[in-house]
Amino acid sequence: MDNKEVDTKKEWEEEGIPFFPNHLLKEVIVAFLIIAVLLTLATFYPAPMEPPADPFTTPEHIKPEWYFLAAYQGLKAAEFLGFLGQWAPKVLGVFAQGLIIALLVLFPFLDKNPERNPKKRLFAIFLGIIGVVGFIFLTIWGRVS
Amino acid sequence: MEEREKREEEKKSLEKWTGFREILNLITLTGFVYGPLDERLSIREALEKNLRKPVPHHVNFSFCLGGITFFTFLVQAFTGVLLLMYYRPTTAEAYKSVVHITNNVPFGWLFRNIHHWASNIMIIAVFLHMLRVFFYGAYKPPRDFNWVNGVLLLVLTLTFGFTGYLLPWNQISYWATTVGTEIPSAIPVVGDLIKVLIRGGTDVSQTTLTRFFAVHVAILPPVISAFLGVHFLMIRRQGISGPL
Repeated sequence: MDNKEVDTKKEWEEEGIPFFPNHLLKEVIVAFLIIAVLLTLATFYPAPMEPPADPFTTPEHIKPEWYFLAAYQGLKAAEFLGFLGQWAPKVLGVFAQGLIIALLVLFPFLDKNPERNPKKRLFAIFLGIIGVVGFIFLTIWGRVS
Repeated sequence: MEEREKREEEKKSLEKWTGFREILNLITLTGFVYGPLDERLSIREALEKNLRKPVPHHVNFSFCLGGITFFTFLVQAFTGVLLLMYYRPTTAEAYKSVVHITNNVPFGWLFRNIHHWASNIMIIAVFLHMLRVFFYGAYKPPRDFNWVNGVLLLVLTLTFGFTGYLLPWNQISYWATTVGTEIPSAIPVVGDLIKVLIRGGTDVSQTTLTRFFAVHVAILPPVISAFLGVHFLMIRRQGISGPL
């Protein structure tokens, strides 16, 4: 590749596509897809209408919404720490969750590697995959237990 | 140089067939980008500048996940306000009003179901958006503070889900909230205080419902809007992260 070609490629890269209509079209397509999915789900799978709240009857299986299932199952799984004493499972479970959120918030400041290519930051990618797999695993475990 | 000219040509023709100018002229008819208002605020110039803003070539559909999240948020705001017109936040009336919305209010069932499903889609979209940013390494400086802002937005979204879950006042929502609000009591020393503070008493009661209702419809919406504003402003200032 000669210099001129590199220059034009760089220029092409820097110029980008105009937001309107190219990128906006993408966003609009996606928005319409979401509307279609929402209308389909809302029509054929209505939101559940459970029996009214009764503080005197505890239902047999109380499980949170799917997005809290991993956290819920994590707390339940912490019960194996019971050998440390009665206090341990709950306290350590809650602290572990606080720690995970803190790690998530502070991640850009802990990960000092300036590389963005996934091949050049294998450890961060590894952590990310562990996190995703762990979340999915705990969610499924919470669902079936 | 020839190639450059070709691209200049393409850009011009693009402007032609996209009908950008025609659309602007059409909006002009409403009086918003024309006349005294435009003279004072130069709306036309701002619109043009923003719509012309270039987007990098490597942007694909995975970059729409943030947009999906924002879109579902708008859906939630719209359907939420409609539900608010009929919902009554008392232990005696909440459940009945939800049944009334579903069975009697015109299109009430539709808006309640959309509100239910859009909340789930919003949370999926937030998760996927976060994964996209993570695996593209887009959280690195100078975008590190926007990542922090984003994690806070995730927490706010989950709080929306948690508080909204109690509002229908049914068995599942009542007991899930009882179990959920029990969790902070595990924190040493201040745990019980936090639990009582969230519940507004020792048990999940009318005070809890009032509290969750207030958080869900009055506190969270302006807070999340502020964080969203900052999120978008930072994207605008720092641009979309470059190709890998």
